[in-house]
Amino acid sequence: MSLNLRQKQTECIARMLNLNQPINASSTTANEEVYKILIYDRFCQNILSPLIHVKDLRKHGVTLYFLIDKDRNPVHDVPAVYFVQPTPNNINRILSDASRSLYHSFHLNFSTSIPRPLLENLASGTLASDSIQRISKVHDQYLEFITLEDNLFSLADKSCFVQLNDPSAGDREIEGIVEKVVNGLFCVLATLAIVPIIRCPRGGPAEMVASALDQRLRDHLLSKNNLFSEAGNFVSSFQRPVLCIFDRNFELAVAIQHDFRYRPLVHDVLGLRLNRLNVQGEKGGMRSYELDSSDPFWAANGSLEFPAVAEEIETQLNKYKKDVDEVNKRTGGTHGAEFDGTDLIGNTKHLMNAVNSLPELTERKQVIDKHTNIATTLLSEIKQRALNNYVKTENAMMRGTLEWKDLLGVLKGPGTKMDKLRFAILYLISSETINQSEVDTVEAALRESEVDTAAFQYVKKIKALNASFASANSASRSNIVDWAEKLYGQSISAVTAGVKNLLSGDKQLALARAVEALIEGRPNPEIDSYLIFDPRAPKSGSGTSSSHLKGPFKEAIVFMIGGGNYVEYCSLQELSQQQQPPKHIIYGATELLTGVDFVEQLTVLGQKMGLGNVASTSSAQ
Amino acid sequence: MARARDRTEDFKDAVRHSARSLGYDEAKLASVMASFIIHKPPQRSPFSKAALKTLESIGELEEFLSKHRKDYMDLHRTTEKERDSIEHEVSVFVKTCQEQIDVLKNSINQEEETSKGWLGITTSKANADTIAHKHGVVLILSEKLHSVSAQFDKLRAVRFQEAINRAMPRRKLNRLTKKDSIETPKSDDVELGEPSELHNEPLRVQQQLLDDETRALQVELSNLLDTVQETETKMVEMSALNHLVSTHVLQQAQQIEHLYEQAVEATKNVELGNKELSQAIQRNSSSRTFLILFLFLNVHRETRTRNLFIEYGETMPFELLLIG
Repeated sequence: MSLNLRQKQTECIARMLNLNQPINASSTTANEEVYKILIYDRFCQNILSPLIHVKDLRKHGVTLYFLIDKDRNPVHDVPAVYFVQPTPNNINRILSDASRSLYHSFHLNFSTSIPRPLLENLASGTLASDSIQRISKVHDQYLEFITLEDNLFSLADKSCFVQLNDPSAGDREIEGIVEKVVNGLFCVLATLAIVPIIRCPRGGPAEMVASALDQRLRDHLLSKNNLFSEAGNFVSSFQRPVLCIFDRNFELAVAIQHDFRYRPLVHDVLGLRLNRLNVQGEKGGMRSYELDSSDPFWAANGSLEFPAVAEEIETQLNKYKKDVDEVNKRTGGTHGAEFDGTDLIGNTKHLMNAVNSLPELTERKQVIDKHTNIATTLLSEIKQRALNNYVKTENAMMRGTLEWKDLLGVLKGPGTKMDKLRFAILYLISSETINQSEVDTVEAALRESEVDTAAFQYVKKIKALNASFASANSASRSNIVDWAEKLYGQSISAVTAGVKNLLSGDKQLALARAVEALIEGRPNPEIDSYLIFDPRAPKSGSGTSSSHLKGPFKEAIVFMIGGGNYVEYCSLQELSQQQQPPKHIIYGATELLTGVDFVEQLTVLGQKMGLGNVASTSSAQ
Repeated sequence: MARARDRTEDFKDAVRHSARSLGYDEAKLASVMASFIIHKPPQRSPFSKAALKTLESIGELEEFLSKHRKDYMDLHRTTEKERDSIEHEVSVFVKTCQEQIDVLKNSINQEEETSKGWLGITTSKANADTIAHKHGVVLILSEKLHSVSAQFDKLRAVRFQEAINRAMPRRKLNRLTKKDSIETPKSDDVELGEPSELHNEPLRVQQQLLDDETRALQVELSNLLDTVQETETKMVEMSALNHLVSTHVLQQAQQIEHLYEQAVEATKNVELGNKELSQAIQRNSSSRTFLILFLFLNVHRETRTRNLFIEYGETMPFELLLIG
């Protein structure tokens, strides 16, 4: 049973649109409440948009759909389905709608569990306005996450990395953030209806999130109608997946580097958001494209490098032209050939086949056009910014085979300010020891190009901190753990370890390696120190590491706190294909960040630490 | 499948709680709680009643189709006539449903017009959202009808295909059998000819003549049969193609109508624009002449006054000169 998150979420939403009654496919009697109006707020709009199109809404009987904040007019004798977050603002809107009797009945669905005080607020409000009879049902949907692909999700939690690593953040704020992340993860697990085994590296936000999630799952399983009772039969560990939680500081390089594969490239350069892309079309207008698993080209070639993608477009185009020519030849459309009497029946059949295949051909042409457009835009950007140069030198840098003059050449060459900043930060991360003179030269080159070096300073400071306690007593694990617990998010003690592994020639990310080790379950020095949580096991047994909990898993859910990106997603998918037998890996993050977004967050952190570049205030932002 | 959590009970508890805190007495509390259990049946507007009825009839159509699908598809269960009758019934049904949907659409448009007619003051019944909702309902109904009729069209296409297939081998078979049948009489003739040669000559000649005639007739008739069958297959093909093209045209008919109306509007707008342009040009030219006239008059007046001064400059008293 492979976990398909997108399908499960779509099913839940379909059920919700059916007024939370089980969808009876063969019911032919006209349901009294078959036409409904859907009302959502901004967050839930983001949840719905990658999953359902407007025309699909009509199949479920939704005639109109509105944002909750818009002024709406009454539509009598129609039930309204609300799908909103449980915030006081939304509750007030619902109360005002109910008091104005905008719709006949209200079916309230909250994207996550509505807290008790808000529920009481709602109750007293409706009682006061005497509109109790309007409220039909109240449901908790546990759908507060955005699924982009079958196995990719995001919690849309903005600036999580900044908040977690903020030096001025207090305990309460950190706990609040952890609570939000745990809530999102709980929704994901509730939708999949599984209770996984949780593993995470020691220290930092990962451990906090893991233990909080474990606690929440335990409490929930003890309550009487828990959401996981269906999965109660699957007690054996190899039916349960493993949930690996990581923190962004585990591997910073991936979030920053330039990558040349199609999916990360489109995300980074053109700004893919919620599977939608806005590109400048040939005729000069802005075209909006949708890129998800229903696009066959995107699904098949998302992980290819860019030159291969261009070739693939060519081949597809040639095949299409050949098919069109064949169709034209068969039906004599091109030259108006005379019809042979005996061949008439054959011609009719060909004509019918041609007419039937026309829609398919037009669709193929549209897909090819779309990707040609995207590829041309990408190509112009790549040429302008010399991105292929960046990718090449970054790879060489990661492997340690970079020449010093090449590095300086890249810094002085073409590329946006962000590209150069990213390159410089990668240099910092990849170099084992800090050679002060080199760093100064790099910094000077950055300042020449008028780049705001706050992020650079931040990483330099962190690395210095790291080096200071790494050199003190790197062998003793407990020392590092103490330090790590003190500086909540600032423990990138694994960075040097991760980078060392990168230098071992293989292009595999440290994350992929850790996940592979966790799935296989063989003893591995890298992951042996990882904590294990099993929400189903009794409390006393959680300390001991029972062997079955470490055993090989068939499925894994990997979660990155602080921001993930398509590079990690592609690498994890490659990993899952390489396994024997192919395993299933779902990847999620608090949000999906491009390299530029992430460096901006680092800049904010640098500024908070007071490391901003005073001289270049004019060029900043 | 994952379950959602029903919090209605919690909500009811919260209601009970706050009712008590607000000081509701028992009777009021009971009525409030009762409103949860007993829902007032919604007052349906005539529009929604009609819409629900149409939905029901489309549902019935679907049921009818699914019941008779096997009868229709299987070659040996029904005769051609029964299949035709099924087709006829289905098309009548589809037409009635389409009419009902059209009636609904007209009622929306009527309502829109009457509400606009009152100097733009819309009544509470007909506001933008309700109208949009009604359009949505009509759209859903028509989409459903389309999907059902598309299902039926697919079945019909399969039936045509089979008809064509049946026609083709039959033709080939007939050709072969015809050839055989033409061959055998000839051989019979030769055999018959020999024994009767010694018998009556004139009878034989007459017989031969008759035989020739019958043979000629036979050949003619078989040719006719051939052509008739060819036309038959051609007719079947044509009807299949016709049907195919008509479904596509129907699909696009609405869009084509829409485009046509837009084109008409566009031409009207362009005409209006032309009129405005010509008016503007006219005004421009007239204003230009006016301006020139005005300037000319001014200049003329100035020159005149100056001439006046030049003329009377010597005789005019000094003070008046200064005033000019």
